Amino acid sequence: MSLIAAIQREARFTFRDRAVLAWALVVLALSVTSLWAGVAEVRQQESRIQALLQLDQQERQLVLAKQSDYGSAAYYSFHLTYDAPSDYAFAALGLRDEIPWKHRVRMLALEGQIYERDAGNPVLALIGRLDFAFLAAMILPLIIIMLLHDLHSGERTAGRFNLLLATADKPGQLWFSRALIRVGLLWASLVLPLVAVSIFTGAGLVTLVFIVIALTAYVGFWLLVSYWLATWRQSTPTILAASIGVWMLLSVVIPLGGRVLIDQAVPLPSGASILMTQREAVNDAWDLPESETYAAFIAEHPQWQDYTQNVGDGFQWKWYYAFQQVGDQKTQALSQAYHQGRVLRDKLASRLAWVSPPALLERALQALAKTDLAAAMTYEQKVRAFHGQLRAFYYPKLFLAQPYEMTAFEALPEYQ
Amino acid sequence: MNSVLIIAKDEWRYWLRSNLAIYSSLLFALLLIATSIITMVQIQSKAAHLNQDQVQAEATFVDQPDRHPHRMVHYGHYVFRTPMPLSLFDPGLDAVTGQAIFLEGHRQNTATFSESAASAELGGLAWLTPAMVYQIFAPLLIVLLGHGAITREREAATLIPLVAQGLSGKRLIWGKALALLGAIGVLLAPMVVAMILALLAGAKLMAVLSLLAMYFLYLCVWCWLTLLVSAVMAQRATGLATLATAWLVFTLVLPAVLVNWVAKQEPIPGKIATDLEMIVDTRKLGDGHNANDPAFDQLKSGLLQQYQVTSVEDLPVNLRGIVARQAEEKLTHVLNQYAQRQADGEIRQAQLLQQYSWLSPTMALGFASRALSATDLYHYHLFLQAAEKLRFDFVQGLNQVHVEKLSYYDDIRRNGSEEQGKRARVDAANWSILEEFRMAPAPTGTRLINASNTLWILLVWMLALACVTTIKAGRIQQ
Repeated sequence: MSLIAAIQREARFTFRDRAVLAWALVVLALSVTSLWAGVAEVRQQESRIQALLQLDQQERQLVLAKQSDYGSAAYYSFHLTYDAPSDYAFAALGLRDEIPWKHRVRMLALEGQIYERDAGNPVLALIGRLDFAFLAAMILPLIIIMLLHDLHSGERTAGRFNLLLATADKPGQLWFSRALIRVGLLWASLVLPLVAVSIFTGAGLVTLVFIVIALTAYVGFWLLVSYWLATWRQSTPTILAASIGVWMLLSVVIPLGGRVLIDQAVPLPSGASILMTQREAVNDAWDLPESETYAAFIAEHPQWQDYTQNVGDGFQWKWYYAFQQVGDQKTQALSQAYHQGRVLRDKLASRLAWVSPPALLERALQALAKTDLAAAMTYEQKVRAFHGQLRAFYYPKLFLAQPYEMTAFEALPEYQ
Repeated sequence: MNSVLIIAKDEWRYWLRSNLAIYSSLLFALLLIATSIITMVQIQSKAAHLNQDQVQAEATFVDQPDRHPHRMVHYGHYVFRTPMPLSLFDPGLDAVTGQAIFLEGHRQNTATFSESAASAELGGLAWLTPAMVYQIFAPLLIVLLGHGAITREREAATLIPLVAQGLSGKRLIWGKALALLGAIGVLLAPMVVAMILALLAGAKLMAVLSLLAMYFLYLCVWCWLTLLVSAVMAQRATGLATLATAWLVFTLVLPAVLVNWVAKQEPIPGKIATDLEMIVDTRKLGDGHNANDPAFDQLKSGLLQQYQVTSVEDLPVNLRGIVARQAEEKLTHVLNQYAQRQADGEIRQAQLLQQYSWLSPTMALGFASRALSATDLYHYHLFLQAAEKLRFDFVQGLNQVHVEKLSYYDDIRRNGSEEQGKRARVDAANWSILEEFRMAPAPTGTRLINASNTLWILLVWMLALACVTTIKAGRIQQ
């Protein structure tokens, strides 16, 4: 009997096996649920961004109209920055629940603003959503295990084992084709809704191909593991327990241990030290001679050297923003250490994930959906760059003491 | 000997000879010990760091030199969220909430720097805690131990002789239940150790005992569920598959699906959206930095009248301080309204999830456990409220110093020369108005009341399952 024939025979059996069909339906339902919730969440995030953009714009215009100098204008006007969800964010919401993806910043020291957290309800973040990535990486393997663990032992208990062996040319082929069909059915129940939703939402096809490849490889991995365990000459409960044990090892024990080891191996400067350094630098400046602040400021912005002499008595906005900038400069080392530490942790995690396929898949899906740490870091860099643009916009006005004109704000940088 | 006891003893003898029972128990013990040690070490080092940061922040504030009091309002202060004693067992929301808040005048900042945002990302289950090991994996062990309780006897054809000898089905099931209760007792032993450590760290005895009782109750739910399936199913393998499915659904699938549902059904606006809405209200209040803001005209004329003077410079108090004080008070009133609205939204979502906990005992236990461990939403909000109270108190304390200890004459000339700037300062001894910030858990009674929201879900589940199982067991006889 050829492999194709064996598969055809097993397919007929499979479609008569209610347990297998029930599991396929469960996966289909969960897949649809997770995708539906993902799409709903992404839509909500998009409409929120739109609403905020509009409110932010209105608010800024109101504020600017009331000002009479650029210093106050920069002080009182905030700017919305945000990281819009990518076309596949619905499949893996990833770190978007934990790392804030929207801020309102102004031209004060950025280090005091960029760590603000407009995060959602911590209760929901703790329990975690059923997004497609979690379903595929954590829950699907358990369902594969449920379906395959009694492949041999079930038939043995039913007394058909030897009969089945006698009717097949190559016994290995018989069992493997049966396993393949069961898992193939689960794979289809998982992937087809994703393909449908991707087409429906018009998400990029290339990414979809990568996602499907990743899912197929992952499902294949669990097929092999479960099949191998199922052919073990043990009782059904022992095989099931051992399979769940393997799942626990790969999904829970290695990720947990790995996370702790990585976090220990790569210490980060405490958030407190970043915030305090920034505050001390900014506040101490009030008591320092202006020349000291300006010296530090000019080191990075030499073009304003000629405009920081003989500044005279009284409060001056340009001095105020100079020391805000110096506050950022003084915090830069710590802030970079924090940034690089997170990147290094992420890099180590990506290596460790090779021994934990569930973590590997979740990370891969988050990377494809741009909801991973790299995406969050890109957003942070964009906020920093935008803040730099704001400074570049206001500095000439403040240092050259340009006359205040509302029309000047037409060139006000906008976050893209 | 009582037949119930004989059956229980026999079940234990069977487990001790079974590889399955022994290896799965070992795996569970390993997981539990590993997570407990990891959690404890982390919490302790975190607590030490945060405590140190808090003490340092307070010292830095008090050690500031002579300054204009309003400078100190903007200098601000930090508070840190130090872990509660029971968080070494159930850290709850601690990992996903911010650890530090910057407190300053005129603003309520968010809690920044959460652990989960800075940690290595290794999938949804990498944040296992001892509490979650009990919530998610202890039921699996009970299922593995107990799934064959009746079906095994049935498959080995020992059930009929047992019943024929006059043993009632009820006594049989109670014997098996007793054996599983013993297993639960053993399972809870490591938790008892964790609880003793929590007691040494300052947890209340009542809370610790209640927590133990709660987990015992939860595991009893699984014990009865396992026995029910075992009594109903014909084959051991199908029984186990059914129970494993129930485990998957109750512990991993349903809670996550319900979170999706609640997020969709009861969305909350978020801080930035709330802030933007709030600005409309706060704009009416006037800028407290500007004593000439028309919003304060009434206040000014009232003062002139009260002190029978014609010019603000003749007032015995500093008008700018009074304006700052009043502006802060009115602003804080608005800020608190909106903060409360945000908190109410979060509470509504949590309450909805608590109602849905009827569908998943695991989620019900999770809520109750966090409530008792003082790591729930209630305590997170307590932290935010305590931080806000501290903020308001020190800002108003400084404004009071501004009113009483700095003359208006010097104040308005502060930007003149360096000399005039120095005169517009007050003594650093005034900074001692800052109060210490130490968070303590709510009284155990309050925590128990909060926990009871979902605790009785567990109770109903357990009683219902015990009744149904006993009734089903009665039919084994026939």
